[in-house]
Amino acid sequence: MTEAEAIRLFKCLSDKSRLQILKSLAIEDMYVERLAERLGITAPTVSFHLKKLADAGAVSSYKSQYYMMYSLKKDIFETSILEILQEESDEAEVQAQRDAEYRQKVVDAFFEYGRLKAIPTQRKKERIVLEVIAQAFEYDRTYTEREVNIIIADFHDDFCTIRRDMVGEQLLDRDAKGYWRIKP
Amino acid sequence: MIEQKVSKLNSYFEEQIAMCNQRNKKLLDDERTDEVAFEKVKANVYDIFRTILSVAVKTGKGDPDAVRRFFVQKTEQIPSSWVTAYDKAKQHNDAVKMRLEQIKLDTIGEIKENFAKTWEGAE
Repeated sequence: MTEAEAIRLFKCLSDKSRLQILKSLAIEDMYVERLAERLGITAPTVSFHLKKLADAGAVSSYKSQYYMMYSLKKDIFETSILEILQEESDEAEVQAQRDAEYRQKVVDAFFEYGRLKAIPTQRKKERIVLEVIAQAFEYDRTYTEREVNIIIADFHDDFCTIRRDMVGEQLLDRDAKGYWRIKP
Repeated sequence: MIEQKVSKLNSYFEEQIAMCNQRNKKLLDDERTDEVAFEKVKANVYDIFRTILSVAVKTGKGDPDAVRRFFVQKTEQIPSSWVTAYDKAKQHNDAVKMRLEQIKLDTIGEIKENFAKTWEGAE
């Protein structure tokens, strides 16, 4: 378990409702309504907590007839706290982790369900956003300007600015035939 | 007459906000931190519409119909983005966002009902 994963899990566990959900799931797999009835909280609130627990890797779900059943991911809880503390984290890894976290923060702030909410004004942030959009382009393929616009329009309506900035940031290159993705 | 209705509604908003704060404290003592956020969201919605009521009274200049129109219009206008956000979250199976938007929508539903009861009932 990485440090980031451990922090996410511990943060997730520091809530009484979520601990009670996990205690119930330690007995047997359950569905949302059953958990709600057992714990005296509403079904939407249980769903809210289950989503957070699933994101932290603490529970998993599967379909059983009409119900979505939730179960405890026992392997996560079999890891001892001492094992987590003893895990080495070298500086390069920590730095890479910090960068990845920053990147994720920017992506979460500027994208909503895969659509870009606004073009960042800060260059560093815009670069991250453009790199995400660049992933929609294949390497070793030439795109017409129209194809480029259509791909970018899936992310944001201002495809002209984004297309131009992607060329400026050397994520895309172009000539008379079209555009292609530059390999890093 | 209009003063009575406004005063009744203001008391309602204050009571609801106080109740949210009480539940908030209880949940915090019980280490249910995320549900504390739910109560804060509710209290915020009450607070927004308490402010809107005071603006409605100001712009309505003593005309009960104008006040009602302004307030009702805002109770339709403001939550429309919450409905969009809820639908989007549902589409993406985002239970966390859905819960937060649902709380806002439930709260505004209750405010609308209470406003209608107070405004029409007192006439």
